[in-house]
Amino acid sequence: MSAVGTSAVRSDGPIKARGQARYTVDVGLPGMLHCVLARSTVAAGRIVRLDVSKARQLPGVHAVITAADAPMHRNGMLIRDQELFASTHVRYEGEPVAAVAAETKAIARRAVELIELELEQMSPVVDLDDAVAAGARLVHPEWQTFSMAIPCERYDNVANELMANPPGVDEAFAQAAHIVTDEYRAGRQYQAYLEPKAVVAEYEAGRYTIHVSHQFPFALRDRFADALGIRSSDVRVVGHHIGGAFGGKLDLGIEPYAALLAKATGRPVKLVQERTEDFITCPSRENAIIRIRSAVDAEGQVLGRDFDVLLDAGAFAGDTPFLVSIALFMANGAYRVGPTRVRARAVYTNTAPTGAFRGVSGTYLVFAVERHLDHIAEVVGVDRMAIRLANVLRNGDPLLNGQRLDDASILGEAFAEIERVAPWAQITAPTTTTDPTVALRGIGVAAALWVTNPLPGEATLRLGEDGTIHLISAANDNGSGAVTMGLRQIAAEEFGLDVNDVITTMPDTDVQGFDGGSQGSRTTHVVGRAVHDSAIELRRKILDVASKHLEADVADLELVAGHVGVRGVPDRRVPLSQIATLARGTVGSLNATASYAPALPAYDPSCASGFIFSTFPNPTYHVHLAEVEVDPVTGNVSIVRYVVAQEVGKAINPVGVYGQIQGGVTQGIGYAIYEGIDIGSDGRYQQRTLASYRLPIAPDIPRVEALLLEHPDPAGPFGAKGIAEPPIVPVAAAIANAISAAVGHQINSLPIRPNDVLDAIEAGRAKLQQ
Amino acid sequence: MDLSLCVNGRQYDVDVESGTSLLDVLRDEIHLTGTKESCVEGECGTCTVLIDGRPHDACLLAAHAMEDTEITTIEGIGTADAMSPLQAAIVGAGGVQCGFCTPGIVVTLTALVAEAPCPTEDEIRMALAGNICRCTGYVQIIDAVLQHTSDLSTCAESAS
Repeated sequence: MSAVGTSAVRSDGPIKARGQARYTVDVGLPGMLHCVLARSTVAAGRIVRLDVSKARQLPGVHAVITAADAPMHRNGMLIRDQELFASTHVRYEGEPVAAVAAETKAIARRAVELIELELEQMSPVVDLDDAVAAGARLVHPEWQTFSMAIPCERYDNVANELMANPPGVDEAFAQAAHIVTDEYRAGRQYQAYLEPKAVVAEYEAGRYTIHVSHQFPFALRDRFADALGIRSSDVRVVGHHIGGAFGGKLDLGIEPYAALLAKATGRPVKLVQERTEDFITCPSRENAIIRIRSAVDAEGQVLGRDFDVLLDAGAFAGDTPFLVSIALFMANGAYRVGPTRVRARAVYTNTAPTGAFRGVSGTYLVFAVERHLDHIAEVVGVDRMAIRLANVLRNGDPLLNGQRLDDASILGEAFAEIERVAPWAQITAPTTTTDPTVALRGIGVAAALWVTNPLPGEATLRLGEDGTIHLISAANDNGSGAVTMGLRQIAAEEFGLDVNDVITTMPDTDVQGFDGGSQGSRTTHVVGRAVHDSAIELRRKILDVASKHLEADVADLELVAGHVGVRGVPDRRVPLSQIATLARGTVGSLNATASYAPALPAYDPSCASGFIFSTFPNPTYHVHLAEVEVDPVTGNVSIVRYVVAQEVGKAINPVGVYGQIQGGVTQGIGYAIYEGIDIGSDGRYQQRTLASYRLPIAPDIPRVEALLLEHPDPAGPFGAKGIAEPPIVPVAAAIANAISAAVGHQINSLPIRPNDVLDAIEAGRAKLQQ
Repeated sequence: MDLSLCVNGRQYDVDVESGTSLLDVLRDEIHLTGTKESCVEGECGTCTVLIDGRPHDACLLAAHAMEDTEITTIEGIGTADAMSPLQAAIVGAGGVQCGFCTPGIVVTLTALVAEAPCPTEDEIRMALAGNICRCTGYVQIIDAVLQHTSDLSTCAESAS
């Protein structure tokens, strides 16, 4: 193969490195106005008075709109619980109450300051246990009036509840040698993409055009149309380069405000969020509480389990009703466990709505399960690695939805790869020091399986008149390289071309067919397969034209290095450019389109209620090992070694794969030890800027050792599986296990900041002295 | 208030309010949008430019204080036709993903290798401490610099 498996350079690399790539924040249109939003400054309250008259009178202001000027029906991805503007109540700090369009951003800001908002404050619902307690104040007293796009199990402050209650759980506890009970907590994590959310909206002849850097243009189009009560065909979403997203740019966001103002003023309107505004309103990874109770036998085998999750939806459900389903797939991690009862609830609070962040709830669910397994090992008195190897999933084992994993033994291979480069007995050999200033060293290991998002995708291939291939698809490169490396390489391989002879498009929902967005590692696997399928059809058309020109049978033709030739006759060949020209004069331009949707595995629909995400298609397998050094004086943690063994199917671009692993692990390190969002009892974020929210920087991050396992997927293009999302999933688990081992105390909350480390060191020493 | 700035060797005359940041002048008045705005508090480094050859956050600089300096933005690095060898190394090593931090990182590292042509890995990491990259995890960017400088005969000699 000449293109697949090489580290071809991404096509947008040069323009990005030169500052020439245009992101939405760089888009400017003639006559463009600037929008600033007026947002609630409190988490919960009743709107007593909202007066925008002074703002409207400010010179340079073209329009000010509020709930009175917007569609009154509610919208939402799964539950239609959200208003565009707060009308009678505000439900989180940052909820929009009005939007201004003005000649300049400075004028729009001054106008927002002139808006008079009088609120009768209410006591916010913040704590998750309080929110689900009997008699809790309801964030949405009118919840029963909300319609649903997908049915959810709802009551009171619960937006969706998943329940799985198989037989045998209580019997397992009755015969257990040990019962191990733990509670884990995880805080929110901000995507902290460097390009803040931005949009430029136009309204012309009854249609909206939305310029945006969005992961899922078709979902945005449909959510926008639903929110405004218009036809989806009256919306055109035009994608621009995405300055980072990580899940935070998957749902409808600020687009309707710019669009409604564009309609009201007849001018294009641009809205770019300021950093603090973006931070406190972005759908961050949700905070959660995970409670696990395991019935364990004398050898450390888990006979049965109770698994309970509360996850914080914030003021509106967003995609969190989906996420409760993930609990069913993650409750036992990568291990064999007896009958398991699972209850997971997405809970409304008066905080910013949460949402997807790379690895979603998998990050903290794997953290909980793997921490719990270390605790079980300690209670039973067995080695932490031995308990994993004895119970790791194998080929044919079922998940809790009944889905059989026919390739789960890859997990064992991944453990073996880790052992090859980091022999467990050797690296965990105890060191003896009593010097309280010497760094404490610890090793942690964690395993996971993770899903490939199965939403369909479409690709059109067209032979250009100069012999290039135009790859026309709404598949979207969020920075991962899935389009600019992966899809280009797959197309180049199909036609024997140089990758630079494959030209890709940016998303435009008026032009391309449906694509499920840049999410869940799907683009290379799903759209890559669509490219492969359309290539078969286009090759057939090319050979058809060539066969007439070369007066040879199609079966005797081959397509090599941009030419079609007669096999075995080197001088009887014709370049693709000539075939395109011939076709244009006879049959018309040559192109082919294919859609692909992965087959979903069989499962047992009776396994649970409240179940939206019903299967775990195209799983990949992961084992991570972390070595940390803990400074006992400052509580600072250094990640001194990090090893990843990951199943990838086939690495289409090894440099690209490594970049996803190194980048995903880095975000996981941030989640594990640096990035904390503390929410006060007033419902407000206490960290509000990048100065107070500690992101990983270059001196923090080790060079990740990546061990790739390649078991080609027959359904994937050249065997490729989804690779980009999962490197974040086991990281917090591996690091928390390593820190806990270093300090001799079980640490059960994320993030683990220096003060948490010092507390744990103290607790660990106290335990030793007992 | 009138203002004259030397950017990438060219003189620009603009009229902006006193106190306007250099970043706003570059992006909104001169339309050099390669310099990115992200945190506007000097944390992220996406707006890094060179002032007389030294890297600074343009969001923190008052434009009027920059009149007698030479300002270099990302648009002033490389030639009209080609990336600088360092830019090409960063692209080739996988040091670019979403690319929003890339102009600032290129500017920072261009200053680093101008000052210390053969930096160690630790020196590169410290130089990058003021530039946040949310995508790559930094290693491929660091490797690009190491690769770039090891190709220079002077560094090969000093290493041997």
